[in-house]
Amino acid sequence: MRGALTLCLLLLAATLAALMLGQVRLSPALLWQGLSTGEGPGALVLATIRGPRVLTALGAGAVLGLSGALFQTLFRNPLAAPDIMGFTAGAGLTIIAAIALGLALPMPLLAAGGGLVAALLVVLLSHRRGHATPPLTMILVGLGIGFLASALSSFLLTLLPHTQATEAQRWLTGSLAARDWGHVAQVCGIGAVLAALALAQLRRLAALELGEDLAAGLGLRVGRARLALAGTAVLLAAAGVAVAGPVPFIALMAGPLGARITGAGRLPGRMLAAAGTGALVLVVADLAARAALPGIQLPAGVMTGLLGAPYLLWRLSREMEKGEL
Amino acid sequence: MSLDLHTSGLRAEGLSLGYAERPVISELSLDLPRGEMTAILGPNGCGKSTLLRAMARLLEPAAGRVTLDGQDIHRRDTRALAREMAILPQAPIAPEGITVADLVKRGRTPWRGLFTPWRAEDASACAEALAAVQMTAFAERPLGELSGGQRQRAWIALVLAQAAPLLLLDEPTTYLDLVHQIDVLALLRRRNREAGITVISVLHDLNLAARFSDRLVLLGRDGLVATGAPWEVLTADNLQTAFGLAARVDPDPVTGTPMIIPL
Repeated sequence: MRGALTLCLLLLAATLAALMLGQVRLSPALLWQGLSTGEGPGALVLATIRGPRVLTALGAGAVLGLSGALFQTLFRNPLAAPDIMGFTAGAGLTIIAAIALGLALPMPLLAAGGGLVAALLVVLLSHRRGHATPPLTMILVGLGIGFLASALSSFLLTLLPHTQATEAQRWLTGSLAARDWGHVAQVCGIGAVLAALALAQLRRLAALELGEDLAAGLGLRVGRARLALAGTAVLLAAAGVAVAGPVPFIALMAGPLGARITGAGRLPGRMLAAAGTGALVLVVADLAARAALPGIQLPAGVMTGLLGAPYLLWRLSREMEKGEL
Repeated sequence: MSLDLHTSGLRAEGLSLGYAERPVISELSLDLPRGEMTAILGPNGCGKSTLLRAMARLLEPAAGRVTLDGQDIHRRDTRALAREMAILPQAPIAPEGITVADLVKRGRTPWRGLFTPWRAEDASACAEALAAVQMTAFAERPLGELSGGQRQRAWIALVLAQAAPLLLLDEPTTYLDLVHQIDVLALLRRRNREAGITVISVLHDLNLAARFSDRLVLLGRDGLVATGAPWEVLTADNLQTAFGLAARVDPDPVTGTPMIIPL
């Protein structure tokens, strides 16, 4: 309970800081005036620039974090996450491809398609007839799919005219610059529906967590339940990518970090903690990215990359010590 | 149509398991009536666990079928079946940091629909299961902090909370020391006698199996060697056939059940 409160306070503090800090600094008084009356310089900054940006970051971070925690629980492996397994890269590729080909399809649809195709490829490539695929095999195959998708995205960038390429490159890194209220509505709306779907499947996940045989003994159709959960998690990640680009490492870090902050032991608590922590990390990363160097706005993905890479190395070394790799 | 005694319980009919080119079990028929405590015995690699998994519908038979009260278990709704038979696999996976209470609650899965809240009957089933394995005092403890024997009792509480009249266990005593092996088998025997639960388990220790079972199923490398009451199954000839073991069988001085003395 105290852990949940800590996370809420951290989220609140990060959100307020993200709303106040930036090229134009708002004092707490101006922020309050802007929030309560909708007038003054604060209101302008909040309504057009930082409000949508921060809320999009919160939404995208939450869906990515939840997606990562779902995968980690489903695969019983802390390295299982849509950003490691190539699903976010796949979602990013379809969006870049649509831009390059001049297709005007809705971003969430494109992202969902790319994520699902990447997931399908991972399943097909790691499948061996009559054998259960070890999670680590799927993770490594996913890593390969991710590299392939990133390489294709880079290739497509070279085909774009220079101005468009710079923008697309920025987006591919994972960026929250110039988001509007449409992005907020999109990620929150789609995110809420998918999160409800995921929560409705938590009892099945709780059974699957005990191993496939026990889950089957508890009356689950194991294959179907896994597929539905994995599909929901891929779509959650895609919803995040559609508004923030394939920001790396949020999904990977949010679950374990959230459990650490909140101390949540039970499954629903762990999932909520992962969503909250994903939101927290992305808001902080975005704030750091635009406030770290005066006059330069870095994409948020640069910051999560700087944060996430050491985490990944630490994780890998721990897994190696345990003999899992 | 009324159920006659012959169709009541779990039954294997002409069961073949494994791949066509490498059958683990072929053409096995077996009748396990309700209310009994049965142990499946045999040397390593003879297909004991495979047979148990097939009886629990975790494995699709290559030929033949498994029936519960006359109905093919693979044709039944898996969730409805989970209310009638519970299975504890050999190596269930404990999520990191899970408490005993949280673990046992998951045994209620087949009784809860998507929108069914936690009901009083779920709570009482869990409380009863914990009491039956004498783990009530440990409910809030993380599983990882418990001893091997306590952990196994917690897993058994999970399948007891499932409240199925038929319980299948794959090597429930492996990795336990002798005291805890007896503890687990005595606990299962109590549930069998007091609650009338049918218990079918794969065991390694022949003497303990003889002591705690109504019926033994002895498998050898070439399939079923014998099935029936302990004294009928554990004969010197059968042990020779199944294990290639030369042994004498004497009455256990304490319980009078067969006791194997290897020669």
